[in-house]
Amino acid sequence: MSEGRIWTGDELTQDREVTCDVCIVGSGAGGGVLGEALARRGLSVVMLEEGGYRTRRDFDMREDTAYPALYQELGNRTTDDLAITLLQGRTVGGGTTVNWSVCFRTPTRILDVWRDVHGVEGIHESTLAPHWEWMERRLHIREWPLELLNRNNQVLWNGTERLGYSRELLKRNVHNCINLGSCGHGCPVDAKQSMLVTLIPDAVERGMTLFANTSARRLEVKGRRVTAVHAEVLDPATQLPTGVKLTVRAKVTAVCGGAINSPGLLLRSGLTGNGQVGRRLFLHPVVASGAFFDEPVDGFNGAPMSVGSHQFMDRGPGHMGYLIEVPPIHPMLSAIVFPGFGAQHQEFMSRLRHLNALIAITLDGVLPEDEGGTVALRRAGEGRYRIDYPLREHNWEAFRHALKEMARIQLAAGAREVLSPHSTPVVMRTEADLAKLDDAPYAPLQLKVSSAHQMGGCCMGKDPERSVVDSRFRYHHLDNLFVADASVFPTALGVNPQHTIYGLARLASGFVAGAV
Amino acid sequence: MTRKPLMHLPPPGRPSRRSVLRRGLFGGALLALGGAGLLAARPGALVPLPPEGLRVLSPQEYAVLVAFARHALPNRPGFPTVEEVHLAVQVDRLLTRTVPGVAEEVKQLLGLFDNALTGFLFAGQPRAFTTLSHVEQAVVLEGWRTSRLVLRRTGFTALRTLVYGAYYGNPATWAAVGYPGPLEGIHQPDAPVYRGGKRANDNGAFVEPSNAGGGTP
Repeated sequence: MSEGRIWTGDELTQDREVTCDVCIVGSGAGGGVLGEALARRGLSVVMLEEGGYRTRRDFDMREDTAYPALYQELGNRTTDDLAITLLQGRTVGGGTTVNWSVCFRTPTRILDVWRDVHGVEGIHESTLAPHWEWMERRLHIREWPLELLNRNNQVLWNGTERLGYSRELLKRNVHNCINLGSCGHGCPVDAKQSMLVTLIPDAVERGMTLFANTSARRLEVKGRRVTAVHAEVLDPATQLPTGVKLTVRAKVTAVCGGAINSPGLLLRSGLTGNGQVGRRLFLHPVVASGAFFDEPVDGFNGAPMSVGSHQFMDRGPGHMGYLIEVPPIHPMLSAIVFPGFGAQHQEFMSRLRHLNALIAITLDGVLPEDEGGTVALRRAGEGRYRIDYPLREHNWEAFRHALKEMARIQLAAGAREVLSPHSTPVVMRTEADLAKLDDAPYAPLQLKVSSAHQMGGCCMGKDPERSVVDSRFRYHHLDNLFVADASVFPTALGVNPQHTIYGLARLASGFVAGAV
Repeated sequence: MTRKPLMHLPPPGRPSRRSVLRRGLFGGALLALGGAGLLAARPGALVPLPPEGLRVLSPQEYAVLVAFARHALPNRPGFPTVEEVHLAVQVDRLLTRTVPGVAEEVKQLLGLFDNALTGFLFAGQPRAFTTLSHVEQAVVLEGWRTSRLVLRRTGFTALRTLVYGAYYGNPATWAAVGYPGPLEGIHQPDAPVYRGGKRANDNGAFVEPSNAGGGTP
């Protein structure tokens, strides 16, 4: 078999049209897995990625390099009111190139909700397990050793132990990791087993062609079939269109652009799925609790995210559960997330080395009334989507609960002072101070909220009136269009999503191949 | 301080208060204020322009950004000043790279900050932001930061994020926060890059493909 090729925008100087069996839009956790699985079956695959082909040659571990080069909207993607910052990858390998390297199999209770509430059929542990096992071998997914925890993660490990809370060492997809702590900026030693260094080169070796800096703008539809994918080539330096067009004529098209861009491409193509496309956007809304310790924590060093606590995942009916984890601490992102302004903010920043942070990843989409947010188009020519995510009472209640519990854990681990992420932070030094969190304001932009996990927008389900794709990942209203990424999740997960996407995309590969 | 909620204004050209609020700051009614009107036309104060020149911001917008940044990052021992790191120029350069529409909105937002009409409506203060004393400016900023209106907090957050991102992303500021920077000797800027494009010939040797096509031409 002839080997494929990775092309970048600077090489694509003339309009061209290519034909293939399957066109995959997006090279992240969904597209990467799907591309390899289809190429392995001997199908000709063309993959389009709007981000650049950035590799360890580019990964200089600097935030000011990484966010503009590797993230959506130069790292500035947010909801329209700026109340929720959205960290989302935009590069070959997608989110897997820049995530913090944590893998969980999908919780059974979530798969049960998908089956019982959304009518998803055939997606459960027994059908996903063989795919997860294959991915775990290929990506070296294994528990991070206790003796390698950095001090930032030790805070969660020790604090939960003292309180008798559940805790676990997380599984990471790394191989020969040297514990640099730069997962979020692209791994400079290729230790992180992202799609960029695993299944994408595997697929290219098996004949797949990848066009980077190539943004799919519109699916052309005739009758019940997608007949072409129309794409624009982007200048790798400016990320703006060069005017060169690429047209892919494929027997089958699989959209794997993630939870914002997949619904976006469908909407640009006039595919609204009876108004369901762009609905049920879930973000795992995150609040962070900062704590200062007497001794340095140096949260910029070492595996960034390696301990978790599910203690508060199940808080009973009517309450959102949450997972507690640990983020890396680098100056640029910390400064943006850190509370305060002016001299107060500077004073906090001057103690950055002593800062520990915990985050609560809240589980959205599971409460019956929780419809999450929406993605919609803006005016033609604008490079952004309209992203709305109204934070509701159940969100604020979960944030307040989580901030208290995270502060409790940090104090139990020996923190001198804990800061809430309120615009004017609540400062807590003893257990008695936790009650102050009840009096703080809970409203958009008075409490810093972030998201590193975007899900939904092309929700899977049985009923075409309430979902976008069926249980075989096929768009309800067309015969040869599939969606295989986090956008098909009917709800969020309560755990980091990459491994769920891997399992689903590998399962989807059989259905996609069957449609060729 | 008197605060007149913006939502009491008839939003020009918008069908309902509800839809205006839903649209948010960007593209919404607040930016529409940046337009005509006697108060809006009152000039702000300028600051000396950077020798390297501006690419996106006007001299007036630049002056607002510099003033905002001085409040975000007051002089503090060990911390480089906003002038020393050319912060407003950094932001100006960043705006050359944003997705279409963003730079325009940031420019409008800076105009709005300096707009005397906005100042009058929000704070009963009919003077441009850049013409106020440092202490008066701090009061105005606090009004934006803690406003009951999400619209104003959004505007404040946008500028705060731009300024803090540009400042703490700059290696010149790392010593101030004790960040040692990336470990030396790890990054290889000349590392080989896999592109594929080779195939085995009948003898098992790799050869370059003769046609530079993708898929089946």
